[in-house]
Amino acid sequence: MARPTNAIDFWRGCALVTIAIDHVPGNLYVNYTLHNYALSDASEIFVFLAGWALRLVADGRAARADPSAAQWRLVRRSGRLYLSQVVFSLLALAILAVAANWLQAPFLYDWNAAGPVFAEPLRGLIGLFTLLTQLGYFNILPLYVVLMLGAPLWIMLYRARPALLLPVSLALYIVALAFHINLPNWPAPGSWFLNPLAWQLIFVLGFSIGGKTGIGLLARRHHRALFYVSLPILALGWAASHWHYAPVSPMTPWLRLFVSFNKTFESPARILNMLALAAAVPGLFEVFHRIGASVTEVFAKLGRNSLSVFCVGSLASLVGQIYRYVVGGGFANDTMIVLSTLLVLWITAWYTENLSPRLWRAAASPLG
Amino acid sequence: MVHGKSFAALVAGCCLALGLSAPARSIDLPQTILSAACTVPENDVATAGSLSQLGTKLRSGQPIKIMAIGSSSTFGIGASSRVHTYPSDLRPLMTAALKNTKITVVNRGVSGEVAATTAQRIRDEVEVERPDLLLWQLGTNDALSRVPPDEFASTVNTTLDWLQENHIEVALIGLQYTSKLARDANYISIRDVLFKIAKDRHILYIRRYAAMQFIARTRRNEHLLSADQFHLNDLGYECMAEQVAHAVVASLFVKRFRPAGHK
Repeated sequence: MARPTNAIDFWRGCALVTIAIDHVPGNLYVNYTLHNYALSDASEIFVFLAGWALRLVADGRAARADPSAAQWRLVRRSGRLYLSQVVFSLLALAILAVAANWLQAPFLYDWNAAGPVFAEPLRGLIGLFTLLTQLGYFNILPLYVVLMLGAPLWIMLYRARPALLLPVSLALYIVALAFHINLPNWPAPGSWFLNPLAWQLIFVLGFSIGGKTGIGLLARRHHRALFYVSLPILALGWAASHWHYAPVSPMTPWLRLFVSFNKTFESPARILNMLALAAAVPGLFEVFHRIGASVTEVFAKLGRNSLSVFCVGSLASLVGQIYRYVVGGGFANDTMIVLSTLLVLWITAWYTENLSPRLWRAAASPLG
Repeated sequence: MVHGKSFAALVAGCCLALGLSAPARSIDLPQTILSAACTVPENDVATAGSLSQLGTKLRSGQPIKIMAIGSSSTFGIGASSRVHTYPSDLRPLMTAALKNTKITVVNRGVSGEVAATTAQRIRDEVEVERPDLLLWQLGTNDALSRVPPDEFASTVNTTLDWLQENHIEVALIGLQYTSKLARDANYISIRDVLFKIAKDRHILYIRRYAAMQFIARTRRNEHLLSADQFHLNDLGYECMAEQVAHAVVASLFVKRFRPAGHK
């Protein structure tokens, strides 16, 4: 039986819908998603809530009763994420191949950064299986795989020396930003779009704030003060986003990524904006839930089944892209794409919760 | 399409200007970088823009880093190997043209990418690599993804503003020509919007569409496209690199644009 509607699942559902819309470039509704009003976007929320959910697992009765079994479950979870990434990347390639052939449109082989895989299948597939080749808009799961692989280590540190958790994470983040360290792409040049060495800080922040001790306790105790502090930060984030402001990059190399709005290295300004959102917005869930419980339940259902919804949503967005190429954009087409995508996401969540084999059913786990 | 000032005339005029500026180290404008197979009229190569910072750095003898960013044409889909992509072809051409200068070309092409995604990557990559010149190839996927032209223009202009604030010089590389895409109204709109942006901002603009169209119409036996009639082949990439190198080297001799009222 599915767990009751809660704020984490609801916000995670909102993030998933936002991601699905953002992944159809050029569509009208991209202009109204979070990144138009803030420096951070849905990816940060997704990772932050993943950390938060991990804390619920770590503090849960099952994990405390049998820590090693819980750790093993996290590794298995990481394996499931990896399999999902590989399988859904292959399905995306199949969709592109069929569409390119059917529509006689060879440029479709290139979309979502699939070009290198079709051009050099052997090396491309090795890249895909090792996560060193990531299709465009399929960059979050590889990050999530690495974060989940690291999760047992974070939990061990949390149990042994909780006070060290954030400092260690922060130190890793600072080193990555100062020395521009990232995981490489292969065979294509470049590096990961979402750098796990930097993004782990968002994950650990979610883990820390999600708990009822340490900074989580502090955040709860002072949530009203934090709410007021967050408002000017959100206003600044909105202004920067609205007027497309981005700071001038300093000449000192080690300093650059700390003062910019870099997404790959998740610069501090983006983290601050995301934390301000986390301080200001969660209360809205109660309001929404009072006004329209059936709507919040829909989003929470998506959030509860985030892995399957994210994976199928990525494919739905890809189909939306191809559809836009064939019939064009505009209000009617874009509205149809978004509504169809939402329907597909809901059906996926419903299927996962009610009918799917065990592989996907995750209702018992807050990890979604 | 309305053409900007004659590229050849600008180059000739500005060579004279450079001669008067007594540089620390002189740079000679090579006779031509274009091989017989890639030769097109000067006006079809590029619309001029100034690369004065790059020129200053070259004259001081410092090494140059060029970052090529864009989609499949930058990545090199259709090339027989990674050494036949346009960024790979560009380095020896630039090295030969600008003797005794160490030149690095970094390829940051991601196939199928629209400008909004590349714009995000530009900020991320430029902060790490800090190139002396950014070659941004764009437009094809925006046209085919049906991105509205005004939205495309807004993305490009915002990114160019940021690059300007960060003193990163940029050359825009326009859309390719294929006979099929030439009939796509959205494709032509995006091509024209990009040309207008470059013209209004006095940015070096590589007129890939015009150059490829000229070759397709005048040398029918010369094929720049691979078998799928969309991606470039080795010769296509060689010509693209030659045209970029030719335009960049010539633009080193173009004086920085000053708005009316400035001397």
